[in-house]
Formats: sequence, C-alpha cells, structure tokens
Amino acid sequence: MDTFIQLTINGFTLGSVYALIALGYSLVYGILKLLNFAHGDVFMVGSFIGFGALQLLGGSTAPKVPTWLLLVLITLAAMAGCALLGVAIERFAYRPLRNAPRIAPLISALGVSFFLAYSMQLMFGSEQRDYDAFSLSGGALFFNGFDIGNVRVPLLRIVIVASAFALMIVLWLLVTRTRMGKAMRATSYDREAASMMGIDVDRVIVFAFVLGSALAGAAGVMFALRAPTDVAIGFLAGLKGFTAAVIGGIGSIPGAMAGGLILGFAEAFTQGYISTRWSDLLVFVILIVFMLFRPQGLFGKPDIKKV
Amino acid sequence: MKRAMVLALVAGIAAVLAASAVARPTATTGTDAQQAVSCKSQLKIAIVTPLTGGAGFLGNAQLSWAKYAVKRLAPGLGLKVQLLTGDTPVEQGPAPAQALAQKYVADQKVVAVIGPATSGAAAATSQTYFAAGMAHISPSATRTSLTKGTPREGTPGFFRVVPGDFIQGPTDARFMVDKLNAKKVVIIDFQEPYSVGLADAAEVVLKARNVQVIRLSTSVRTTDFSSLVTRTPSDADIVFFPTQQPPDAQTFGQQLIEQGKRAKVFGGDGANSPAQFKLPGAYVSNFAPDISGIAGTKSLIDGWKRDNPGDELESFGPPTYGAVQVALRAIKAACVANKNVLPNRRAVLRKVKQVRIPNWILGGTFRFSTKSNDPLNAKFYIFQIQPNGTYKLVG
Repeated sequence: MDTFIQLTINGFTLGSVYALIALGYSLVYGILKLLNFAHGDVFMVGSFIGFGALQLLGGSTAPKVPTWLLLVLITLAAMAGCALLGVAIERFAYRPLRNAPRIAPLISALGVSFFLAYSMQLMFGSEQRDYDAFSLSGGALFFNGFDIGNVRVPLLRIVIVASAFALMIVLWLLVTRTRMGKAMRATSYDREAASMMGIDVDRVIVFAFVLGSALAGAAGVMFALRAPTDVAIGFLAGLKGFTAAVIGGIGSIPGAMAGGLILGFAEAFTQGYISTRWSDLLVFVILIVFMLFRPQGLFGKPDIKKV
Repeated sequence: MKRAMVLALVAGIAAVLAASAVARPTATTGTDAQQAVSCKSQLKIAIVTPLTGGAGFLGNAQLSWAKYAVKRLAPGLGLKVQLLTGDTPVEQGPAPAQALAQKYVADQKVVAVIGPATSGAAAATSQTYFAAGMAHISPSATRTSLTKGTPREGTPGFFRVVPGDFIQGPTDARFMVDKLNAKKVVIIDFQEPYSVGLADAAEVVLKARNVQVIRLSTSVRTTDFSSLVTRTPSDADIVFFPTQQPPDAQTFGQQLIEQGKRAKVFGGDGANSPAQFKLPGAYVSNFAPDISGIAGTKSLIDGWKRDNPGDELESFGPPTYGAVQVALRAIKAACVANKNVLPNRRAVLRKVKQVRIPNWILGGTFRFSTKSNDPLNAKFYIFQIQPNGTYKLVG
C-alpha cells in the first residue's frame, strides 16, 4: 500500500508538470491548428531562466530573499522570459507562414526546436544545472510536509502540485471569464468569422503563445526543482506534453489537464510496478493507441465536416 | 513486369553496396599513405574527453593536467608538441568521438591520442585509431572489455593507465560486504557501456558473497529518480549507482532521503566529483588516490596550481598527466629508434607497451601488464563524503 501511495504522489507531481506543458500545446493548436513542436524547448529554456534567476538571488545555499519569495520570483522570471520567447517564435517562425500549407509551419516548428536546443548548448554548454532545492531552508522543502500512512508527502511536491493546479485554474478562468478568453474561443471556433466580427486575431494568437509559453516556463522551473536540467530535456518533455494533449483531446484545456495527469500516473506506475525501462515505451504506446482508436482524445470532439 | 522487378532488385543491391562503401570507416586511408614526420618538427597529440555535458568537470580537469604535462615534459624530451582538444559529451553517445577520430586520423601530424576518456567513446573509435596505427591511451576508460575478454572492444592500439572495472567492481563490492556489512544491495545501471559493465562486475562478487542483490535499470536520460527510489526496499543497505553524471547521484541520494529510505549511495569513478556529488555519508570509488599524499608530488602539484589558480586538485586529472607522459616517452623512444624521423604512427604504437616510468604520479613505478594493455598492479580507492563535502579515503 505504501508503494501505491508513493507512486500516486510521484504520478501527481510528474502529471502536473506534463499538464502544464500540454496546455501550451492545446492553446496554440486550438487557435492556430498548429502543433508547436518547439514547445518542449521553451520548457527547457524556462528551466534555465529559473536557474539563472536563482543564481542572481544568491543561489540555494545563500538566498538573498525568503524561500517562498525565491520560488515565486524564479517562477515569475521563467514565465516572463518564456512568454517573450513565445512572442518571438510566433512573430518570426509562424506568422510569416500563417497562410502557407499546414506542413510549412510544422517544419518551421521542428526547426525552431532544434534552433533553441543548439543555441542554448552553444551559449551555456550541455552541463547539467542543479537548482539544489535540497539546500533551501536547510532541506525544509524535503523534510517538511505531511504523512499518508507511512509515506511522507514533502513540501516541495505539495508546492509543485498546488502551483500547477493554481496556474491551470487561472488559465481556465482567463479563457472562460474574460473578454480576451472569449476572443480566443471565437478565434478557435472560426478564425475568419472572428476577424470579421472585429476581433484582432493577430493579438489573440500572440496572447495564446504568451500564455502557453509562460506555462511552459513555470513547468520548467517545477521540473528543475526536483531534478537537474540540461539543454536536451526539452525534446522528450515536449513529446510527453504533446502525448498528454492528445490523450485529453488536443485543443481542450480540461483535456490537457486530465491527459497530463493520466500520463504522469501511467509513467509512475509503470516505473514502480513493471520497470523503469518500459515507462517511455508505454507513453508512446498510449499515444499510438489514442491516435488509432480515439484521435479526438478523451475530451475532444470528432472533427465533423459539413458535406 | 518481371524485367522491372529484376531491374528494381539490381538497383536495390547497387544502392546497398554504394551505401556500404560510403558508410565504411575511412580510417584505413590514413595508414599506409602516411608520410614520415621529422621529430624536430612540431608533433601533435590529441586529448579526447567530455569537456561539456554532465561529465564536463572530468574532461576539464583532464585537459588542465594534459596541458601541464605537455608544457612540463615535452621540452625535457627534446620534443615540440601541440595538444589538440576534442569534446565528447557523454549525452551525445559515440558520434562526436567517431567524428573526432576521423579528423585526427586524417591529420598526419597527430601521432597519438590521449583518451578517449569514456568507455563508450573508446569502444566506438578504437578500430578507427588502430587501423591508422595510432596509439590511444586513456586516463579514465575503465570498461573491462576494452582490454580483456571476448568480444573485446578495444584493439591492441588501446591502452589505459588506470585499472579497469574488473578491479573497480569487485573492490567496491568487497568494501560493501567487508566494511559496510551490506546484506541487501540495490544496483542501478543506465543501459550504457560504463554502468552496465561496472554493475555486472559488482553484482557477481556480491552474489558470490551471499548478498541479496536487486538489479534495476534506467535510461541515461533519466533525471528524476522518484520511482527508482520507491522501488528501493526500505531495508536496503546500499544503492550502487554507477552513473557518469555526478548531479544524478546527488539527486538520487536526496530523493532517497525524501522518501525516508536509509540506504547509502555508492557511486563509481563516474560519480567522483566533490563539487557535484556531496551527499554526506555516501561513498565513491576512484582509480586514483589524492596525490597530495604521495611522496615527491609536491613540486608537481605546485606547478599545476600555478597554471590553474583557483582550481581544486581532484582525482581525474593526475592520471591524464600520466597518460601524456606515457605517450611522450613512446614518441621519444620511436624517434630515437628511427633516427629522429617517425616513419608512421605505428612506430609510436610499438613503443607504448615498453614504457616504464619510475616515480609515477600515482605512486610507485608504472608499467603495463604483459598480459593486457592495463597497468600492472593498479588498484581502486574508496572515499566517503564528509559532512563538509570533502572526500575522505576509507579503503
């Protein structure tokens, strides 16, 4: 039972990060019908921005501000940096191809992905960067928390899951309760009609990139608080985020959240009960199964065309 | 239709043959065609090591000692030597090492290679170097099959100045049983040559000593080890963690604490980095002791510190000094034997095995075993990480 509880906690933590990445895919796909394969690398850049901010604030062994503020500041720095990066990617890599055949922006997305990964490697090398969250407040993030049976739920995991859910709720409110959210939904439904109704479609698209990239930046920090980061983490994380989005139904915000958590649990339980060697394989088997038997995902709607 | 199928078949075979010809290593082109090189001219040796990536700390330490060795030793031997540097990040697999091997083989002035530093890179390039008659002397590639057993991954051109995992694995395992009284050990490998070889070598000895062994495996790209930690039994005494990326050992150790597991982390030489793996109570092994405790090394260390102000003395650098020393001695011997002209690289290769160095940087006298291209009587050392992060020699 303890193992089950521990794996559930592992799955929740992992799934929250995947859900944040998946939301970025879903937002952009929902509006542009574009698979932004550079999204995983935005996540990687976010983890590096967070690392840089952490160093500027004194590092984990001698932080200049309280731990809670440090975590907030590095997350905000990563979100802001990634939001700017998202705007730049949209402006220079996708907007010029807005009316090109759909394969063109897809290829451009792959190019941006490699561009980001190799640029980061040239600038910062491929060494692992460790946030060393263990040293923050004398290990309080690891030693404090609460117990479920014999299993400790450390504060850091609580912070990660709670922050991820808070961000998802904020996004949900933004999309459903604001004018910009309404404009996003309208653009997603029919871009041309939305434009004719006076909606500034370019602005809406940029806003979607800002939101998605900021969430990826936050996910990057959450990931790197628990494990070392390097310039190569983006590719696999991006693929897993994409898989989560497909499972939930790409374009659907609740779907992305559910898909991320399902993927996190699947990975954690496979690693725990079967083998760590099988977990990545299982992730992509799930992707293939969904593509074959339920391409619209759990929350998506079938693409019905008027004939 | 039938004619078309025959034509397609012929075209297919032609394509396969053409692809094979293109894909075949071109190293052999550098062998017989090599021009003689005057020993009075500037010769080149190349160091092949991970300068970036997770193992970058190791490569940079090796590079600093290689530069120091060339500067200190070459003039005394009457040689003018330029040191070339090649980066082989472990995360990128064998591809960078293969590309560098082709580059160095093509350069007539490169007469020997220091490295490759990692076992995977050595296994992937040894054929290429040997086909070109080039000695490649590693200061840190420890995989057993590079010098022993069948199939053997290293060629007769591969040498190492440190002992292999056939010594490290059993040394670590015996220490776990004899000194730490381990009854249950979890071994984790990373599905790459170094860690699988070292894990296998330790597992054999542990099982022979009736220790309960739980073998787990994960990808070299894994950075969050939560589920591996969950699978580690609460009553396990040791987790043997032969990674090449010290931050991973640090993370794994922290996640063990996070989940309330009492097992100690035991890393191999790949985890040996006081700056990155500093978990108090954990263990690491290495092929070199702290050379500051060896008689006669003071002036050597002082000179290196002058060239590298602020750098800390650690375990990976000094064997590289030794590897360069072996290469330079072999080059000098080949020059003497051939009247100051190196007819080809093989002339240097033939002399490597005969090198003998008294007052070896790691202590004693260095020479190669007559049975393999390993150093004679070399051993591994075990360190425990102290509360202040320093490494204390314990075995």
